[in-house]
Order: sequence, then structure tokens, then C-alpha cells
Amino acid sequence: MTAGERVGEGGVADNDWTERRHMDSRFEILLDAAPDAMLITDPQGRMLAANCHVEELFGHPRHEVLGQPVQMLLAERLRERYTAHLRRYSAETATRGRQRIGTRTPIAALRCDGTEFPAEVTISALPSAGGPLIVLAVRDTTEQKILEQELKARTAEAEQQWRNAHAASRLKSEFLANMSHELRTPLNAIIGYSELLHYGRAGSLSEEQHEFVSDILNSARHLLQLINDVLDLSKIEAGKMTFRPEPVDLDRVVGEVMDVLRALIVRKGIEVDYSVDPSLTGIVLDPAKLKQVLYNYISNAIKFTYERGRVRVRVAPEGAERLRLEVEDNGIGIEPEDLSALFTEFHQLDPGAGKKFQGTGLGLALTRRIVEAQGGAVGVRSQPGAGSTFHAILPRQHRLAEGA
Amino acid sequence: MTVPGADRIPVLVVDDNEVNLRLTRVVLLKSGSFEVRTANSAEAALTVLAEFRPRLILMDIQMPGMDGLTLTRLLKSKPETRDIVVVALTAYAMKGDEERAYAAGCSGYITKPIDTETFGSEVVSYLGGPLAPPS
Repeated sequence: MTAGERVGEGGVADNDWTERRHMDSRFEILLDAAPDAMLITDPQGRMLAANCHVEELFGHPRHEVLGQPVQMLLAERLRERYTAHLRRYSAETATRGRQRIGTRTPIAALRCDGTEFPAEVTISALPSAGGPLIVLAVRDTTEQKILEQELKARTAEAEQQWRNAHAASRLKSEFLANMSHELRTPLNAIIGYSELLHYGRAGSLSEEQHEFVSDILNSARHLLQLINDVLDLSKIEAGKMTFRPEPVDLDRVVGEVMDVLRALIVRKGIEVDYSVDPSLTGIVLDPAKLKQVLYNYISNAIKFTYERGRVRVRVAPEGAERLRLEVEDNGIGIEPEDLSALFTEFHQLDPGAGKKFQGTGLGLALTRRIVEAQGGAVGVRSQPGAGSTFHAILPRQHRLAEGA
Repeated sequence: MTVPGADRIPVLVVDDNEVNLRLTRVVLLKSGSFEVRTANSAEAALTVLAEFRPRLILMDIQMPGMDGLTLTRLLKSKPETRDIVVVALTAYAMKGDEERAYAAGCSGYITKPIDTETFGSEVVSYLGGPLAPPS
């Protein structure tokens, strides 16, 4: 039995649509090929044709629905509204030809077993000689609704996770800051009293006592350096490192770093010279951060250079806007495969060498972060056994970003 | 060089950590330029201030009970203590600590660990007077 026969029996065979459909069974194939449940009704909503998906979706055998009002497929509470909608539409557009009446309108549809399901309906007018007909395409949106709900739940979950991660990161930063504060408090006493003893402020010491106090003092200062580096790294990670750019005299800054390292340079008998290109004027950088970079590079160079070695420090223009700090040594050098990991946290080449050349393994990582935070870049070239040259490229004038 | 007793600068050190409090006191006394009193809390500092008038207070920031910045604001709000120079002495940790110290009325900010060699002259420098050489 086909829809067409039922239409005929339904007594509307006198319109030309029914005639044409009778003549062309390809129409039926077309209707069944649609992915949605397709219905054709008269202006009052009486169903004239239905495709195979109507049966699948609503559970009504196709022949049972033909001739029935399409409202039976709607949840009861929606029926009156649909009827009113059809009436209004017929009055307005009876003569205007084929047109969309509603696109993907969400509805509650009713199966023959009385259960409801969410659906979308697209309604169009279909002109025919006997008056306009209505085409409805109904799509079950149950799965889509489930997916939407799942997506909503997942999004909420992801947002919650992001919030948790954010809170954890903040807690970590606060923890590090507090820990650093707590660690410095006893170190203040250790370093302070060691200094008093070391510099003979509490009476003279035997040579051996002096040596021991020296070791206490050096270890405490090393520990302090570690704490400072860890705190600096955590500050950079949390975006909390402050830069205070001001006009700086490069010659003086390099000289001051040299003064701090003087004792070490003398002790190792290393020849250190430095040059600052005189054309580099009008430099605006954070002097403390600049010193930190220079100190890390130069102290590293000294550390990894043999006694009576040589370290050269150069500050030169790099284009018109930037400058280049370079620290060259003729020390032990670095194997090519180790170069890439050099500027990452807690990386120190060869644990054996690490013991001999005591350090935090944080200095170069910190240097990179400090330089990059100012829009600069770091790098190194090296030849094992012949020496290394570390460089940092910095803007000549560090302009703080808005709100920084 | 030790300054004669009458010319020594009266200083109050406020710190809840007794060991650090003693260190600061010892370092200041050994420089020979200071008369030093100590208090291990902001509340104790107020008691000392009732009968001792320092020219300068070295103030720890983080203390249980009243913290150093609250005490600084309190001192700066009273005409009789407004002129005492307050210098924060703290283990620097977070961004903004220094700014907050100045905002509360501190004239200086010294971070721990202190440099025992230069500490005395650094403290004197906040008084705007001539630097006293270490003893």
C-alpha cells in the first residue's frame, strides 16, 4: 500500500499534487531518501503523505496516520498552538507560493506509545492547484540533546579543572614565597654570626677555626643563592618578577659585577678583561637584572675555566635597537649534544663535573628567563676543550608592557 | 672608632625572632655608633617607646600579633612618634612588599640576610646625617 492510495481514499485526490505524485513514483523514492521524517499535510494539518522515517520515529504504521491530523504527533500541550499557527499562516501566505514557515523549530514530539522525545521541525509551504500544502521535516534531536548536555558537562568540568590548576599554581607561588621567607630568617643569623666570627669581630680565631667559619659562611651564602634563584624562577613563572628600567651606565655596571667577582678571579688566577662599545649610550634597563645576567655568565665562565685561563666580556651594539652581551672563555667547553639543554632548569652537565664545579643548576635557566622577559634572547656556541661563548641580546631600552 | 655614649644614636629593633633580634643588636653595638633597645613584638615595642625615644626603629614586618606595618602606621599617625625614622628589616619575599612598606611610612627597606660589614653605616644613612665609620 502506498501513501498515494491512502491520499486518494482520503478524498483529496482532486488536487494536482496528488495527480502528479501518482504519475511519478520517483517522488516517493525521493521522500524516503530524506534523512528526516517527512510529512505533507493540507492547510488544516491533515496528513496526506508520509515517508518511511515517520513510522520509525513515531511508531505509527504509515497507513494509520494518513488522513489523521498532524497534531497527533505533537505533545498535547503544543497542538492548539500549532493549529493557530497554521491558520495564521494560511491567511497570510496562501497566494505567495513556496516558502519556509519555520526552520528547525524545537518541539516535543509524541510517539504512538505516549512517550515524548525532543525534535526539530522545519515547515515549508508547497503550492498546488487545490491550494497550498504544508511540508514538515521532523528530526529526532534526542542524541543531539544528550551530546549538548555532555558537552556542557565537559566544558564545566574543564573550567573547574582550569580553576583548580590556577588556584594550585597560585598556592605554589605563595608557598614558595613563604618558604623563602622562612628559610632566610634562620640564614640571616647563620650568615650574620659567621661574618662576625670570620671578620674577627668576636675576637681572633686560630687558623683552623677561621677555615671552618669560612666554610660555614660560604655554604650559607650558597644556600642563600639557591633560595634566591628558586624564588626568582617561581616569580618569573607566576609573572610576578618586577623590572625597574632606568638609565644605566654599562661601563659602571660591568665594573661593579667585576668587583663582586674580584676575589674569585684572583684566587683562580684567571685573566678577565672587558670592553663596552662607547657608542652604546642612552641605555634604559633594570640595572639589578642586568647585573644578575652578567654575574651568572661571568661566574660560570670563571667556574668552568682552568686556572690561569682567560675570560673576555664584551658589550656591543646588535642592530640599532639592541645590544649584545658576550662572555667568552677558554675553559672546558660543552659537548654539542649538551648545548640545547643548557638553559633549562636544574640542568648541570655531567654529575661528576657538577660536584667539582658547585652550582645550583638554575643560573642559566634564570638568565634565559630574565632576558626573555625583557624581550631578549640568549645563546651559546662552544667547542669542547677550547671554550665557550655565551651571549644575551637585550633591548637598549626596556619598555614595560601596559599594566606590568 | 666608638662614639662617646652621649652621642650614640638611640635605636629600637623590633623582631619576633630572638636570634635575629640579638644579631641585629650585636652588629649595631659592635659598630659603636648606637644605643640599642629591643622588642620582640609590636606590642612590646609600644611599651619600650613609652619610656625610650629612639631616632630610628628597625622594624620586622611579619610578626604574630600586630605586624610591623600596622605599628609603623600607628607611630606615623601620632604627633609624638611621627618623627621617628622607621626602616623595614625583612626577609623579602613577595612583589609589593617593599611598596607596602614605603606606603605605611617606612623611610627605608633592608632585606635579610643583613651585610654585617655595612649594616651600621646603612642604618645611619637613613638618618640623613654623616656616615659613621665602623669601629
